[in-house]
Amino acid sequence: MLATVTLEIDRVTKRFAQTLALDDLTFTVPKGRIFGFLGANGAGKTTTMRICLGILQPDAGVVRWEGTLSGDLPRRTWGYLPEERGLYPRMGVLDQLVYFASLYGVAPAAARRQAIHWLARFRIPDYAERRAEELSKGNQQKVQFIAAILHGPDVLLMDEPFTGLDPVNLALLREAFVELRDDGRTIVFSTHQMEAAEALCESLAIVDRGRVVAAGTLAELKRTSRARTVRLGVEGEILPSWLTAIDGVAAVRPAAGFTELELTPGTEPREVLASALARGALVTHFEVAEPSLEAVFIEHVGHPAGDDATLEKTLEKAIDEDAA
Amino acid sequence: MARRDPLFPNAAIVARREYRDRVRSPLFLVSTLILMGLALVVALAPIAIRYLDQQKVDRIVVVADEDALAVATIATANGIMNIPPVGADPDTWTAPFVFERATDFDTAQRDLARAQIDAILHVTRAADGRLDVTFLSSGPVDGVRSQLAGFTALSVGIIDWTSSLPPGSSLGAFRTPDFRAESISAPIEGGQAVDAVEVASRSFLGTVFIILMFITILIYGMWVATGVATEKSSRVMELMISAASPRQLVLGKVVGIGGAGLTQYTAIAIPAVLVLAFQHPIALAVLGESGAGLPIGGLTIGLLLAYGAFFLMGFTLFAFVYAAVGSFVSRPDDLQTLSLPLSLVAMGGYVSALVVLLGGGGVVGKVASFVPPFSPFAMLARLMVSTVQPWEVALSVAILLATIGIVALATVRIYATGVLLYGQRPGFRRFIAAARRAG
Repeated sequence: MLATVTLEIDRVTKRFAQTLALDDLTFTVPKGRIFGFLGANGAGKTTTMRICLGILQPDAGVVRWEGTLSGDLPRRTWGYLPEERGLYPRMGVLDQLVYFASLYGVAPAAARRQAIHWLARFRIPDYAERRAEELSKGNQQKVQFIAAILHGPDVLLMDEPFTGLDPVNLALLREAFVELRDDGRTIVFSTHQMEAAEALCESLAIVDRGRVVAAGTLAELKRTSRARTVRLGVEGEILPSWLTAIDGVAAVRPAAGFTELELTPGTEPREVLASALARGALVTHFEVAEPSLEAVFIEHVGHPAGDDATLEKTLEKAIDEDAA
Repeated sequence: MARRDPLFPNAAIVARREYRDRVRSPLFLVSTLILMGLALVVALAPIAIRYLDQQKVDRIVVVADEDALAVATIATANGIMNIPPVGADPDTWTAPFVFERATDFDTAQRDLARAQIDAILHVTRAADGRLDVTFLSSGPVDGVRSQLAGFTALSVGIIDWTSSLPPGSSLGAFRTPDFRAESISAPIEGGQAVDAVEVASRSFLGTVFIILMFITILIYGMWVATGVATEKSSRVMELMISAASPRQLVLGKVVGIGGAGLTQYTAIAIPAVLVLAFQHPIALAVLGESGAGLPIGGLTIGLLLAYGAFFLMGFTLFAFVYAAVGSFVSRPDDLQTLSLPLSLVAMGGYVSALVVLLGGGGVVGKVASFVPPFSPFAMLARLMVSTVQPWEVALSVAILLATIGIVALATVRIYATGVLLYGQRPGFRRFIAAARRAG
């Protein structure tokens, strides 16, 4: 079934001082989908989210939700989980959840009821009366997630929602994502964790230096990718050191019984097999697999997500310079 | 694309949280109790000053052209100015004045200037025989003392009139002695010397009020700046700016913390008002019948209201600037750099007010009372110790309110930009540059 496009980021440009943070950025998000917004640090993900929320104004371009300009939408349309987590340290958990919800127009009694439901859902019902500073970082993150969804927003913008979560809480958050999606919410999240994006996203956009370099459903992105993934098993060696020396191998990951190789675009899998055999390796497993999302990302951006911290620093400096 | 959110209800929701956060803190309770005690001291100060004044023995020198006049003046002054109050124990009661004769008026004036004596009663005779009596003191002219000196002059005139006639002759027309009460350094208000005790009370109260205003504006202003900076450092600001507009957040914070300040003001004003309401019985108990009948002066309901109004306006003005400052730093520790110049500006208002209270205001004090951010301090000081025309108060308030409006608009714009900055440590120059752009 074709999903209706309801969130449009239309030719948005934003400059901070001399730095172009967003360069004619354009993509669309289908309604009721989980959408991954992937990019390296400083690629422009947070700036895009802030423009959607109206915290920043674009130099050019518009954001629309169901055809309405974002500036004409009520704040409660959006739910936002910022990358930088924060709560009032000395305020009770339940009190601040009710406080945040009331800013979005939710009646205190309803907010309290919903907050208690979600605290129980995230297995922290006993923390309702505790101060936020008494909670672990992971639990604070769950409280902040609840704060973002308590008012029932149509669109959830989540900036690196999985960072810092242990596997149990990661699973809880993923379940919540799916539950909210099933409830008709549109979820847009950015992440460095390609596995999480691959597991959750129905469609996504890859952004690099303020421009969308790839967008579509996960299947479309993989189908159109020129990246290849090869699974190679060699008897007696778990991770042969010579694998990285083969021409056209971009990344090497150990797996159970084989090693997964990401090939650079244009490299044929049979060249890898030939190279391995030429080295006298006893090949026990050879498989050409669908490229991983990480391989697709590297194909478009040139490096894994999270490898380029320079861009982020440059953007932060530019934001400061722009303000002053 | 910019969203224009209505101020309410979000500004009220933010204000309520800020208010509760402040008034529930132990610091608020402790500071309120201390200030309540201070307010009681201030309210009781005029009675205390009057009481201390009663305990003091003034040394008054009589200078007269003629020996007989000098003797008559000392005797009469003793009889009039040193009457024991009703019910006073003659064994323990001390006369408040000591009179001595001096022959040289210039020497007496020098002694008065050096505070070796408290006043001079100068009696001379004009060519037509009429007596001329001057009561000269060093400080502001005390209404009570000058009245008593006036009675003394009249009595000396009567004695002189009756004693100058030969026995058996009839009395001619009585000529009332000329009497003046002057001071070598008295403040003049409306062409008349201000009562010394009243001036002392008002100056003391004014100083306390100005200090109180200076301290509370700085403290509450720092609450605002620290509140914003803490929201930034704890990163809760990211949530806040997506939930509410900068206008709602800034106004809510200023109103909430201002409300806490107003609560504290009310708490400290209540005991002061109670003292004012029961001022007469308290004065009766402390000063006795004679003292309690005299005007107490000092704190009035009007001055309390003026203090409340100028405090609120002064606080609001400074609070907006502090909010802008708070939005520019990443951590509360960084506030020191930016808040120091702001403290110096408040200090300017404080100093201008003190100059007014000390009687040296002149043009500077008058100008300062119209120029924000000095006007809340200087105008309050002027109201405390001098006569201010209603139009002057209205003009000062109007300029202040207009300035608050302009500063509020600039603050919202600075705040909207500042709260997103987490990078370089901001200096005062960067803040000024941003403020100029916002303006």
